[in-house]
Amino acid sequence: MTIQTGDEVAQASGNFSIRTVLHNAGIGLALLALILFFSIFTEHFLTANNITNILTQVTINLILAVGMTFVILIGGIDLSVGSVMAFASVIAGKAITLAGLGPFEAIVLAVIAATAVGVVCGAINGTITARWSLPSFIITLGMLNIARGAALQASNAQTIYSFPLAFEDFGSAMFYGVPVVFMVALALVFIAWFILNFTVFGRLLYGIGNNEEAVRLAGHSVYRYKIAAFTICGLTAGIAAVVYMARLNISSPIAGIGFELNAIAAVIIGGTSLNGGRGSVIGTLIGAFIIGVLANGLILIGLSDFMRQMITGVVIIIAVILDYYRAKYTRR
Amino acid sequence: MPAQSLFEAPVADTDQVFLDVQGVKKYFGGVKALDGVSFSLKQGEVHALVGENGAGKSTLIKILSGVYSFDSGNISLENTSYQPESPQEAKARGIQVVHQEFNLLEHLSIAENISIERLPRNKYGLLNKGEMNRRAREALDAIGLTDIDVRVPVGSLGIAHRQLIEIARALQSKSQILILDEPTATLTERETKRLFKIIAAIKSEGVTVVFVSHHLDEVFAICDRVTVFRNGKTVATDKISHMTPEGVVQRMVGRHLEAGTRQHTDKQTFGPVALQIDAMRTMQNTGDTGISLNLHYGEIVGIAGLVGSGRSEILRGIFGIDPIHSGTVYRDGEEVNFKGPQDAIKAGIGFVTEDRKDEGLILDMPIAANTSLVNIHELSKTGLIQFTEENRQARESGSRLKLKYGKTADPASSLSGGNQQKVVLAKWLACNPKVLLLDEPTRGVDVGAKAEIYSILKDLAQEGVALLVVSSEMPELMTLADRIVVLAEHAIQGELKPSEFSEENILKLAYGQAQPGEGHTS
Repeated sequence: MTIQTGDEVAQASGNFSIRTVLHNAGIGLALLALILFFSIFTEHFLTANNITNILTQVTINLILAVGMTFVILIGGIDLSVGSVMAFASVIAGKAITLAGLGPFEAIVLAVIAATAVGVVCGAINGTITARWSLPSFIITLGMLNIARGAALQASNAQTIYSFPLAFEDFGSAMFYGVPVVFMVALALVFIAWFILNFTVFGRLLYGIGNNEEAVRLAGHSVYRYKIAAFTICGLTAGIAAVVYMARLNISSPIAGIGFELNAIAAVIIGGTSLNGGRGSVIGTLIGAFIIGVLANGLILIGLSDFMRQMITGVVIIIAVILDYYRAKYTRR
Repeated sequence: MPAQSLFEAPVADTDQVFLDVQGVKKYFGGVKALDGVSFSLKQGEVHALVGENGAGKSTLIKILSGVYSFDSGNISLENTSYQPESPQEAKARGIQVVHQEFNLLEHLSIAENISIERLPRNKYGLLNKGEMNRRAREALDAIGLTDIDVRVPVGSLGIAHRQLIEIARALQSKSQILILDEPTATLTERETKRLFKIIAAIKSEGVTVVFVSHHLDEVFAICDRVTVFRNGKTVATDKISHMTPEGVVQRMVGRHLEAGTRQHTDKQTFGPVALQIDAMRTMQNTGDTGISLNLHYGEIVGIAGLVGSGRSEILRGIFGIDPIHSGTVYRDGEEVNFKGPQDAIKAGIGFVTEDRKDEGLILDMPIAANTSLVNIHELSKTGLIQFTEENRQARESGSRLKLKYGKTADPASSLSGGNQQKVVLAKWLACNPKVLLLDEPTRGVDVGAKAEIYSILKDLAQEGVALLVVSSEMPELMTLADRIVVLAEHAIQGELKPSEFSEENILKLAYGQAQPGEGHTS
C-alpha cells in the first residue's frame, strides 16, 4: 500500500468528506449534550458503574447496527436480525451443551455455529432480494418469521442453559471497567469503517446505494455486492447471538424481539439515509449511544420505561426530519 | 404527392380563429425553449404540429395544457386571454391532452381510469360504481370501442387500447381542443386506421384536434393544416393541400441545408472490423429484419433516427444490457455472447450512456471516484483503494479532457453539464476501450464543451478506437461520423457517405421517404 498523506486520504476517500464530518459532529454534539444534561440532572449518571452499564447495554444493539448500516447503505433494510440472533443463539446453545466437549471446544463450536447461522440467513435474504429485485423489507419480514419459528422449533420453546464457565467469564470480563464484549463491538465498528472507506467493496456499496444502474453499467456485479451486504448483516446477528449468550449465559428462542428496530433506529439517528448511498458507521456508533444514553438517563431521571420508549420514538422522527433538511441543503 | 385529406368535408370555411398563439416565448434558465411561436387553431380542424426533436412542440403543448407558464407573448382562446395556471384550469377551458407517456393507473379498471378526475358519488358519499361504469361505457362507445368491458383492469390491455382509453378519457370531459402527442408512435397500421376514424368522428362533432406526429404520411392523410417548428420557432403554417412532404421536411430543417461542417473524402481507409452485428434483435426491436452493421477500427459510425426508432436499443444490445433475442455479435471476428456489461467491458467495449444522471454518474461521489468507477479493480488490485493512484488518474484524465473542476474530491454534482459528461467519458477512457459506444454524447452540453468532446472523440478514432455514436443532433453526426446509418422503426433505412451528408438526406431516410418502395408506405 502506498503511503498517503492524511490530507489525500481525507480528500479522496472521505465518503463525501466535509459533509460527513459536519454531520457526525452534529450528532456527536447532540450526544454530548445528552450526556451533559444527564450528568447535571442525575446523581448517578456519570459514575464508573453506570458508564460500564451503558456500555454493556449498548453492545448488542451496536453490533446489530453495524451490519444494518451495510444493508441500509445499499438502500435495503433487514428486519430479521432480532430473530436470526435468537435462532443463532439456539443452535449455538445446542452445540455448546453437547455432551463430551471440553469448555474450549464447546465455545469454538458455539461461535462457529452462531456465525454460520447468521451468515446463511443473511445470504438467503440477500440472494432472494437481489435475484428477483424484490423489496428487502418483505423478504426479511419473511425471514423474521422463519428464523423465529425455527428458533422455537429447534429449542422446543425451551431456554437452553448451563454453558461452560469460560463462556460466562468472557461475557462479564472487564478491562479497566470496559466490558470486553463492548470492545468486540468497537472492533467491529472499526473493521466496518475500514471496509466502507478504504476498500473497493465499500466504495461500490456506496455507489450502489447512490446509483445502482451506473454501477451495473460500469461492469460490476451489483448482485454479488448486494448479497454480500446482507450476509454481513447476518454475520453481525450471529456475533450478537454469541455476545447475548455470553452475557446472560442462556440461549432463548424468544430473545431479540424488536432488536431489529433498535438497530435500524441507531443507523438512522446516525445519519445514514434510508434511501441508501449516504451515511457512515461512525454515525451508527453515535446513534447507538444516543439510544443507549437516553434509555439509561431517562430511567435515572425517574421516567417510566414507557416514557423512555416514547422519547426514543420522538428522537428517531427528529433525526429523519433533520436528515431531510441536511440532504436538501448539502445538495446543490 | 400532396396527399388528399381523408376527410371530404373541408374545414368549416368560416375561418373562425378559435385559439390564437402570438409570439410566445419560454425560457428555462438561460435556455430558449420557445423563441417566438405563433399559430392559430380554427374550430373543427385537424392541425398538425411537426418539427425535429427539441424544436418546441412538446413545450408548446405543455404551455397549452397548463403544465408550464410562458414568459412573453399572447394566447387567446375564444377571444379571451388564456394563461392557464394548472392542468385543471386548462381542462376547465376545454383543452385536453393525450400525452406520449401514458398516465393510466394500471391496476385500476378502465371505468375507474376514465372517471378518475371526477369519480361519481352516491348520496352517502361513496363511490357510485354503476354510474361510473355507465359513463365509461358511454365514453368507450363514443370512440367505437364497443367490444371492451369497462371493468377489466387497464393493465390487461395492449398498448394500442391503452392509447384509445386515454383518448376516451380526454374526450369524456367536454373538450374543445384535443391534443394528441404522437398518438401513433406505438400503434400498428390497423390500429392507426382505427384511430384516424375516431379522429374523423371527433372532428365532425366540432372538436379541434391538434395532431403531433413524426410520420408525415399520417399528417398528410388526416390533417387540414400544418404548422412547422424549428429551433423553438414556428416557421410555417399552411393548408396541407398547399404543402408537400418534401417542403415540410425542408422547412423543418431550414432553408439553408448545409452539407455538414466537415467534408470528408468518401474514401478513407480504416482498420479491420472491430465489431460486427448481424441481424441483431433485442426485446424492444419490433422489426423483423434486425440490425446488421460493421464497425471498423479507427472509424466513427453515426446512428441517426427519430426517438423510438430503436437507436439506443442497438447499443444496449451490444453492451449486454438488454438480452439479444436473435442475431449475432462478433468482436474481432469472433462470435461473442455478453451476459452483461462486465463481459462487454472485458472485450474492450465502453458505453457512454445517454442519461448521465441516471446511468452515468454517481452524483454525490467525488470526481475521482466517478472516474475510477469502471477500472477500480485494476486500479486497486489488493481490494484496497489506492487513493493516490485514483487521484492521479482523475487529474490526468481531467487535463486530457480539459475538465473544469475544483478538486478531485468534489462531488460530481458540483460540475456543469458539459463537465459531468466529460467525467462519464473519462470513466470509460480510463479502461482504454477498443470500441466505444456513445448515446447522445453531448446532450445538455454547451457549445464550447461540445466542440471539445468532438475533438476528443476524433482523436480517439485517430488512435484506432472504433466509435459508434447515436445522436439526435444531425450536425453532430455530420461533424463526427465517417458514415451515418439511419434508422426507422427498428430497421436500417439506409446509409450515407460523407459526400451525401445533409440534414435533408438524413430526415428523408428517418421519415421513410427516401425512395418509393423503401421505408414504410401507406
